[in-house]
Amino acid sequence: MRATTLVLKNISRRKGRSILNSIGLILAIAVIVATFTISSSMETHIGEEVEKYGPNIVVTPDTQSISIPYGNVMVGRSTLQENHLTKLSEIENAENIRTISPKLFGTAMVEGENVLLVGLNADSEVYLKVWWEVTGELPVEDSNEAMMGSEIMSALDLSIGSTVTINDSEFKVVAALNETGSNDDYTVFLPLHVAQGLLGMDGEISLVDIGALCSTCPVEVIAEQITDAIPDVRATPVKQAVETRIKMVEQAANFSLMLASVVMVAGCAGIMNTMVSSVHQRRREIGVFMSLGADNTYIYKIFLFEAVILGLVGGVLGSALGVLSSMIMGPLVLSTPIIIQDIPVFSIPLSIAISVVACLVASLYPTWRATKIDPVSALKAI
Amino acid sequence: MIEINNVTKSYTMGEEKISALNEVSLTVEEGDFMAVTGPSGSGKSTLLYTIGGLLTPTHGNVQVNGSMIYSLTSKERARFRRENVGFIFQTFELLPYLTALENVMIPLSLAGEDSRDQEKWALEALEKVGLGKRATHKPNELSGGEQQRVAVARGLVNEANILLADEPTGNLDQKTGDEIMSLLRELNDEDGQTIIYVTHDQSNAKLADKVVGMIDGRIVTRINQRN
Ligand SMILES: Nc1ncnc2c1ncn2[C@@H]1O[C@H](COP(=O)(O)OP(=O)(O)O)[C@@H](O)[C@H]1O
Ligand SMILES: [Mg+2]
Repeated sequence: MRATTLVLKNISRRKGRSILNSIGLILAIAVIVATFTISSSMETHIGEEVEKYGPNIVVTPDTQSISIPYGNVMVGRSTLQENHLTKLSEIENAENIRTISPKLFGTAMVEGENVLLVGLNADSEVYLKVWWEVTGELPVEDSNEAMMGSEIMSALDLSIGSTVTINDSEFKVVAALNETGSNDDYTVFLPLHVAQGLLGMDGEISLVDIGALCSTCPVEVIAEQITDAIPDVRATPVKQAVETRIKMVEQAANFSLMLASVVMVAGCAGIMNTMVSSVHQRRREIGVFMSLGADNTYIYKIFLFEAVILGLVGGVLGSALGVLSSMIMGPLVLSTPIIIQDIPVFSIPLSIAISVVACLVASLYPTWRATKIDPVSALKAI
Repeated sequence: MIEINNVTKSYTMGEEKISALNEVSLTVEEGDFMAVTGPSGSGKSTLLYTIGGLLTPTHGNVQVNGSMIYSLTSKERARFRRENVGFIFQTFELLPYLTALENVMIPLSLAGEDSRDQEKWALEALEKVGLGKRATHKPNELSGGEQQRVAVARGLVNEANILLADEPTGNLDQKTGDEIMSLLRELNDEDGQTIIYVTHDQSNAKLADKVVGMIDGRIVTRINQRN
């Protein structure tokens, strides 16, 4: 029989009471684990949105002759070479680039009207511009298919399936872009290479919208890498609402960790109280141990081991409660389902360690008091 | 050999100063079977705990087998108790959450003995007090007499040469008390253990080789009644 066996036997006969006394600690640990879990799940979630939140880097030719405003940038006549885009896969943070959408701008005669023409890869563009609502099938590359903005559709009295003449070529309208309230509503969209042919600008593009995602590196860094990698271009980072949201999540997490530390202090007070009363209730037993030859080291050993056990049990129960409550509360409060994978790997061992350390610290004073017990008066007390 | 030299133990209770022991000197030979008698509050328990290294005297010193036990550090004194002294209390003081065997194992566990030795020696001690068959019982499943036997086994398992018993029969009926007394007598006869016991009972005191009578913190009678 070892000291540890003795402690375990002693604790196991007052399981209920020990757990009851550890409730403050358990709650604190639960708040910590839930905070880690919910905030990390929100970060992943926002990360997923970032991917589709729109372009966050715009690549344009370095020398601009400003003529047409398009979104945030002014698009000029100068172009960049489409084949230079292969360099994008060579930059240091290449794996953070999720979507590349090159575009060529121009004007064309459509049914006798001079309109804005954009050549693009429809799939990438629709992926980047989550706010776009498209009816019909997206135009396929190298085909004579067109997508039209809502205003131009109604101005020319066209519908999906209509045939339209653009610069003397026949195109089939396959898709309609619903109203966006931007230039896009007045634009004709053609597959990139078809548009290049139509405009006599083979291999040229006006700008590239890029969707990059990186939680550890700022888009500025990626933009700089692109500017350096491709000759005569400028890559401009576009500030996103997403970054503000990530900041908000961080602030919320900091707040709830602060809350957790307050609960933790209360939890420690609870543990201290438990240990003080444990020492008091066991005065007689401590007296017996001393009479049998236990020294202070032994007293420290049994009470601090008891603290470790309390800490471990509190940490495990608290973590379980934290995971459980974040799984229940996540969908209710944040409308994000929380899955096991959302729990940051470090959070549970870290929380258990915090719990154990807290219990040890809270037990030092009560244990010191235990060593000061006078065995004779402890044994005489009735 | 135990030598108590001019030991005073005083307590101050507010204004009042109580001398639980007042200039007490006493020599206990190895193998003595000694009874301490006297009215309640006369200092019998105080004397016993002072001999056992559990209560530091206000003045004077206690020497056991040549070493001044109150000059030792508290760690060394704990070791002294572990290796040389066994205590037996009126109220048994077994740990309720341990079996009889485990209770007897405690002093061996404190001494850091190997688990298998602990079990073997504890069982031998239980057999010696006639409780080999009750080893796995918890204290609340044992009678008072049986519990006191477990306590005796716990007191002798570390082969302590001094057994100190504070009214060991105080909570037992006459018959069971007599059984415990003859058990102690047997241990003294067979193993030559030094045994000092406190008792109120004249018939128990008669069993002793030496009887010390106390009043008001002083030893007032010393009777040698061997043979
Ligand atoms: N811790 C203490 N504080 C104050 N007085 C004490 C303490 N311990 C014992 N005494 C006093 O010392 C005297 C002797 O006590 P004790 O040795 O227990 O007597 P006995 O065992 O003979 O009944 C008593 O008057 C008791 O009240
Ligand atoms: Mg007494």
